[in-house]
Amino acid sequence: MNRLQEAAWEERVSQGSSEPIRSRRLTLPERIDLYRIPWIRPLLQSRWPQFLIRSLTLAGFVFTIAAGLFGSRVGSHNFAIIFVWIAWWTALKLVFIPLGGRSWCSVCPIALPGEWLQQGGILEKRHRRFGLNLRWPKRLRGSWLQSSGFLLIGLFSALTLTNARVTAWVLVGLFGMAIVLSLVFERRAFCSYICPIGGFTGIYAKTAPVEVRVIDTKICAAHSEKTCYQNCPWGLYPVALRDSSQCGLCMECLRSCPKDNIAVNLRPFGSDLGQARQSSRLDETFLALVMIGSALAFSAVFVGPWGILKSAAFAIGSPAWALYGLGFLALNLVVMPGSFALAVWMGQRWSGYKTQLRRAIANQSQVLLPLGLFAWIAFTISFALPKLNYVLSVVSDPFGWGWNLLGTANTTWSPDVSGFSPILQVALLLIGLLWSTSVAWRLAKVNNQSVFRQTLPILTFCLVFSLAMLWLLVG
Amino acid sequence: MHKEWLARIIVIVLVATAIAIPIGAWWVRSQGNVIHARMAETGGWTPENLTTEVGQPLHLRLTSDDVMHSFAIGQSDQPAVDVIPGEMTEVTLTFDKPGKYTFYCTRWCSVNHWRMRGTIEVTGPETTAEAVEPPLYVTLGLDIDAEHHTEVIPEQMPSAVRGAKLGVNIPAEYQSHEYYLSNSPVELWKALREESSLSRHGDQDLWDLVALTWQSNTRPQDLTEGMQLFATNCAACHGEAGAGDGVFADDLDQPKTGEHAVMQAGEMTTLPTDFTDPDHMLAASPAHLQGKILRGGMGTGMPYWGPIFTEEQTWALVAYLWTFQFETED
Amino acid sequence: MINEISGRRFTVWRWVVLAGMVFLVLFLPFPVNATTPVDRTFRIQASRFEYSPSVLSVHPGDRVTIELLATDVVHGLYIDGYDLETTADPGQTARLTFVADRQGSFRFRCTVTCGNMHPFMIGKLQVGHNALLWRGSLLAGLALIAGAWRVRK
Repeated sequence: MNRLQEAAWEERVSQGSSEPIRSRRLTLPERIDLYRIPWIRPLLQSRWPQFLIRSLTLAGFVFTIAAGLFGSRVGSHNFAIIFVWIAWWTALKLVFIPLGGRSWCSVCPIALPGEWLQQGGILEKRHRRFGLNLRWPKRLRGSWLQSSGFLLIGLFSALTLTNARVTAWVLVGLFGMAIVLSLVFERRAFCSYICPIGGFTGIYAKTAPVEVRVIDTKICAAHSEKTCYQNCPWGLYPVALRDSSQCGLCMECLRSCPKDNIAVNLRPFGSDLGQARQSSRLDETFLALVMIGSALAFSAVFVGPWGILKSAAFAIGSPAWALYGLGFLALNLVVMPGSFALAVWMGQRWSGYKTQLRRAIANQSQVLLPLGLFAWIAFTISFALPKLNYVLSVVSDPFGWGWNLLGTANTTWSPDVSGFSPILQVALLLIGLLWSTSVAWRLAKVNNQSVFRQTLPILTFCLVFSLAMLWLLVG
Repeated sequence: MHKEWLARIIVIVLVATAIAIPIGAWWVRSQGNVIHARMAETGGWTPENLTTEVGQPLHLRLTSDDVMHSFAIGQSDQPAVDVIPGEMTEVTLTFDKPGKYTFYCTRWCSVNHWRMRGTIEVTGPETTAEAVEPPLYVTLGLDIDAEHHTEVIPEQMPSAVRGAKLGVNIPAEYQSHEYYLSNSPVELWKALREESSLSRHGDQDLWDLVALTWQSNTRPQDLTEGMQLFATNCAACHGEAGAGDGVFADDLDQPKTGEHAVMQAGEMTTLPTDFTDPDHMLAASPAHLQGKILRGGMGTGMPYWGPIFTEEQTWALVAYLWTFQFETED
Repeated sequence: MINEISGRRFTVWRWVVLAGMVFLVLFLPFPVNATTPVDRTFRIQASRFEYSPSVLSVHPGDRVTIELLATDVVHGLYIDGYDLETTADPGQTARLTFVADRQGSFRFRCTVTCGNMHPFMIGKLQVGHNALLWRGSLLAGLALIAGAWRVRK
């Protein structure tokens, strides 16, 4: 935001309106509405382009499962391992999330069969529909299950990432779960509450430059039917959308709004960050902390030189693995949340700014988002960049059966990226830290009380984390 | 209506293609001769037994499912080919003579690497069975499992170089190749000790003469070949310096029950022999050593190399083993 | 009015100072404590899936010999940055000799598929000081300051 907008924003907040977003009239000047661009509009309005992309990802998904189950057990020559954990993961972390927020969710095949059953048709809704359409239980709402899922992945990561069969069964499991949940609950329950990928994609979507928002809220206020809400597979009410973490960019609301009042905006990075929140919900905080802790743990295990750690992580079921698991859980459940809470509390005490600690923690957790996003990008580059050439060879020989479909099956061992890769990782970590710092200051400024004292402990937390990541990745 | 059906068809075609590619290829592939290599503990060669006919090319496609292996045929000139994890290696074999050939892995892949063997049965027109001579230790009636110790141990490592400098004429009967093959160094030493012409020489001098005799019975190319065979096949257990301290030595000297049992129950693996220990080595004849190599260790963990090495290779290896006991000219 | 001008000048100057510090951190050469190059030999045991020892520390200019001893299956060793590779079969120690002329921290990896965790079989060669880590850490501190100032503007 620039200073004028900031001032207007502060004015609204200080007026004490609990839902400042309602008073926003038109699309902010810094937004470019992609839906109004002549050549993009038909692509989003018609169901076909998205459907075709999703059919391809579905076919790719099925192919990946087949490769995982029947292909070579050697991970480096199996399409499932290389495409899931290197190609797709890199695309997710470097492109889909930073540039598109929850854009993967809009083309993800896992929810597809469930959606078809729920709407009774493949392309659009039809009369005969399947499913009980129950509401998701209130107790299980939020991203707690998603954080737990991610921690579970972390415990078994050494096996999953390296074993093609296990990878395939994990995908089958997710697929099956999504279908079952679609038959029991309404909308994309799996995506909203279970999918571990959806969890962190959602929170990092707040930093991304894409959003779906309503243009003129007055039109919505006058429109009683709320077709957008009826059609949203994520159960969202577009006019009340505060941030992009729950919106899967499926464009259904766009297509169904009779007033053409919804926009797909390109916006500045981090637009959802820096706003004071009234909520005290800690689920997103916990998820952000789990991502930070996991970044440290994964960096230590996978790209560190400590063989004993790797062996412990790999020997699932052994006492060594139990110790590793305990350490991993202690880091994510005790150390990171504890030190972050401590930092927030110290900031409060020191500055004398009084507010409910829970709310302060929930609010300040926004600071962790750019930090975590860039830490994960740097980590992904660290382990995936030297292995990108496997993508070429596995496309020609997906099952490790000696094929050579595109002639690239014998791409020799990786080129030396050791020159620029560490520098790139350092640069990314620094960008993340810089950004987090500005978010922290923006938050404190909104509250406008002893800014320095309030923020210093949290900045120290961020700095220590960044130094730790630096040491793990390039030390 | 049309749109929905078109959409359904698209999905079905795409997913069916995704499934059909691997299934079709898997079916086609299973018609061919693909051999999977795995560490012996998890399966070894699959399939293990192949058949072909004399003169008929046997086309094999080899791949590894875990670690680096390689494929070679015992007692043949066929060069070893690497069997690389995740990749396919192709090899075509043609056999002139019928019989049972052994194929084996030549790159250490676990402590049980030597058990990774299979057979190729080559059938052909009936030919007269070739008379196979029994190995020398059988002809000599040696008990290669019997305890053998050297009563007299040299003070220094016997040196053929020093022995040559002595300028002594060793009686001809002791220099013959037959004598070398059938007698142990300590037996020669004792025989030399009995010789009156050598009575003025000390014990160490006589050991040096033994070393010289042993050296005269081996050619440099034998030592080179033996060294290569040793490095590839023996050093992993017996140690690169022959001291019985190879990388797998610990695995072999394990308790025999529970999770540490590396061999099948009932077998008693032991520490690999220390070739630098004169007590055993000097009391063994080359025939004795050949017997051990060919027949293996009867459950001690020592592999049997009979189907793998040719006779010439075995003698070359034996010649190399003596270099751990005797200093020879380089 | 004067306060405003001097305030603005301070704003500009502090960015110049910060930029200067960034420049220094990036380009100031490290103090060189020259050590006489020595010959170092490391006997590395490679097993599934670790190197032992996995962290090697040498001074710049040392002649380093790495003896790679494979203890269970065939392993390899490739040093990032030096682009050197060797492979060892069990029972056949492989040797790699080179002069550690490049400073920094270099990962070395296994190059022969040795099982599931093969892509993560990693060790570290530290030659001299790790300039990248030092510079990165100092820049992190400066980034903290810059991020705070950016918002205050």
